[in-house]
Amino acid sequence: MKEEIRMTSQSRYPFYNVMNEQEAWDAHTRNIVRSRLEPSSQLRYLEMEELQLLRSVCRVLLDETRSEMLAFVVSHIDQVLASPVGEAQRKAAVLPQGKLIRDGLQRMRLSTLLYDFAAMDQTELAALEQLLSQLSEGCAESAEVWTGFDQKAFFKSLLSMAADGYYSHPDIWSEIGYGGPAYPRGYVRASLGQIDPWEANSPMNHP
Amino acid sequence: MTLQRKYADEEVDACIVGAGAAGGVLAKELSEAGMKVVVLEAGPMLDPQQDFASDELAMRKLGWQDTRIVDGTDPLTMGHNNSGRSVGGGTVHFTGVFLRFHADDFHTYSTDGIGEDWPLSYDELAPYYDKIEKEVAVSGPKHFPWGEYHGPYPYPEREPLSPNAYLFRQGCEKLGIRSSVPPLAILSAPFEGRPPCINRGFCNQGCMPNAKFSTLLVHLPKAINSGAELLSDCMVTQVLMHPNGKASGVAFTHNKVSYVQKARMVILSAYAVETPRLLLNSATVQFPDGLANSSGWVGRAIMPHSSYDVMAKFDKEIRIYKGTPVLATTQEFYASNPAERGFARGYSLHAHGARPLETVKGIIGDERGLVWGKQLREAMLEYNFYGRITMVGEVLPNPDNRVTLAEDTDEYGLPRAKVTFSYGENDRKMIQEAIGNMSAILEAEGGKVAFVHPDTAHLMGGCRMGTNPDRSVVDAYGQTHDIPNLFVCDASVFVTSSGSNPTHTVMALAARTAEHIVNKVKRREL
Ligand SMILES: Cc1cc2nc3c(=O)[nH]c(=O)nc-3n(C[C@H](O)[C@H](O)[C@H](O)COP(=O)(O)OP(=O)(O)OC[C@H]3O[C@@H](n4cnc5c(N)ncnc54)[C@H](O)[C@@H]3O)c2cc1C
Ligand code: SF4
Repeated sequence: MKEEIRMTSQSRYPFYNVMNEQEAWDAHTRNIVRSRLEPSSQLRYLEMEELQLLRSVCRVLLDETRSEMLAFVVSHIDQVLASPVGEAQRKAAVLPQGKLIRDGLQRMRLSTLLYDFAAMDQTELAALEQLLSQLSEGCAESAEVWTGFDQKAFFKSLLSMAADGYYSHPDIWSEIGYGGPAYPRGYVRASLGQIDPWEANSPMNHP
Repeated sequence: MTLQRKYADEEVDACIVGAGAAGGVLAKELSEAGMKVVVLEAGPMLDPQQDFASDELAMRKLGWQDTRIVDGTDPLTMGHNNSGRSVGGGTVHFTGVFLRFHADDFHTYSTDGIGEDWPLSYDELAPYYDKIEKEVAVSGPKHFPWGEYHGPYPYPEREPLSPNAYLFRQGCEKLGIRSSVPPLAILSAPFEGRPPCINRGFCNQGCMPNAKFSTLLVHLPKAINSGAELLSDCMVTQVLMHPNGKASGVAFTHNKVSYVQKARMVILSAYAVETPRLLLNSATVQFPDGLANSSGWVGRAIMPHSSYDVMAKFDKEIRIYKGTPVLATTQEFYASNPAERGFARGYSLHAHGARPLETVKGIIGDERGLVWGKQLREAMLEYNFYGRITMVGEVLPNPDNRVTLAEDTDEYGLPRAKVTFSYGENDRKMIQEAIGNMSAILEAEGGKVAFVHPDTAHLMGGCRMGTNPDRSVVDAYGQTHDIPNLFVCDASVFVTSSGSNPTHTVMALAARTAEHIVNKVKRREL
């Protein structure tokens, strides 16, 4: 991202809740979206230890602290890893996704034995962020732990699964002001600056 | 469940593999001409009202999610990014942009000395473009400014547009760049019992109101009405050969049970990865390198479109989730002018809306490096403040960009496809120019470029057509040079990729192939 662009750090739509519109959605979509608000189901692929580390990882990747949101994201990742559906594409020489994540999490644990990431105080968070940053560039240190492992592929796979889950959650849709499902009702007002009455709105966005 | 069959033990006139864009057209034309047709489709039969949803994550299932191995310096994103897998194929989740190629797209070698000429001209294809436009009831502008065809289209252009499309058109106007509403396979008024578009924006998730054309809605029901047998959830695993050197039918799997369909003619319409893969996986003693592969060109010269997205941030809300994803386009940068631009060929630019998952994918994958953590969170909080443009750039054919067989096998025990792709120098120069133009259009309206996402779209090639059997797999009608009753008819026959979205051309070619087959069969020449 270019330096000079200022981004907000808070929702621009503090009073918008996309779920208020759910009666206007078709039943199939409504069921899919509602199920994301229910407590997560049982683990199908991940083990307890992996889950705890993954929660902390997602916390950093997504800059999110709410525990129910992190639980949802981790549960989404668990479902993806347990699913028999393919990965669409896998780079030659990269491990299949389930193995890649399991192997990578284990290596993360080995390379950070000093820390208890489940505890998550400032020291641990900073260390985790640093490790993730190295993984994202493929330059995590400690040869005996990381040699022969595709750090970048591991990091990217985690990040895209985490983001897919997170940005499919209706609370996040509300925060970013996304209109959400739109059937049978579509959009009528389509000019720049126009909104349909049920879309996210906030006076502070119209200076 | 056991498979309900109509032509179980019969040798049918034609067996079509894949019920997508091309397969749908072929099935309709051949069965309406009285031929006995079986269509085998690997994916499921879906009901738009029950099975589609206004949700990106849930609708990834419309893509071919089975793992392909990718390689090269620019490994492709597959799945929902470029391959469909259900009755209707890619048309179920495509964006509906319905462009004709320009005349010189068919002879890039003669014009620019690159690529290869097609064995047919624009003029030969034009009547089939007309036919498909009518069948689909394409909506389009009164005058489309570029290429050979300027209208009229069967239905008026879509109106209203979307905020992002208006933004794009204003930016173009400020810079003196002509722009237009594109021709779309999306209804602007009722047609054959289907309603006009409600501008909901979920074309890539499947159109729930049935306003967008797909062969699931338009061509395949007509084929079935004319007697075609359409079998979903049936994965073809091999083209079967007779000792006399002709195809005898196909083997397919349904619910883990294997079946054989005998046919006088086999037509592969399984798209640019699965068609070559099936030919390679069908190797026999007589055809050790795969069927129809005496030239060695099966799987070679596959091409995506370069499809970089540019997102700029504005001080005002744009809301890229609203409306049909592509409602404005320009082809001012389409015409080839290597002397001035430093590269051959050209591209289209589309105003391109996006829902959150597509947006976040573009932010994460920014060309300057992965975006994550606080930076990602803050960038997504500005979701409603981005304008977005995507290029559709011509990628030159390169025989080393290819589909081969991987060592890994799939659930049917078949070697997976390995897809190798690297951009060439011409491709990269074109991308750089396009990024500059996309940025300029957004900046003209006061946007600041925030993210540039390297992406690809669409697949073409892998069984290219040509007159020379040493350098191509099929002739101008899709008949393989090596096996007279084996045809290929889908995006894999493309010789070059053009700067236009491909499906209109896929379907026009299918209509032409179908007419040819029907005529030949009538004259007992096939
Ligand atoms: C997100 C997205 C947006 C797009 N937007 C546009 C657009 O706006 N405009 C445009 O022109 N194009 C667009 N496209 C491209 C378009 O989808 C393709 O060009 C088109 O569908 C190709 O047609 P086809 O007949 O070659 O293959 P497909 O339509 O892909 O059909 C192939 C079918 O064969 C089936 N199949 C494969 N292997 C087997 C097998 N072994 N046995 C049985 N069945 C098999 C598949 O399941 C599939 O249904 C888009 C594509 C995507 C992914
Ligand atoms: S925008 Fe229109 S065509 Fe696209 S899915 Fe919605 S209703 Fe269908």
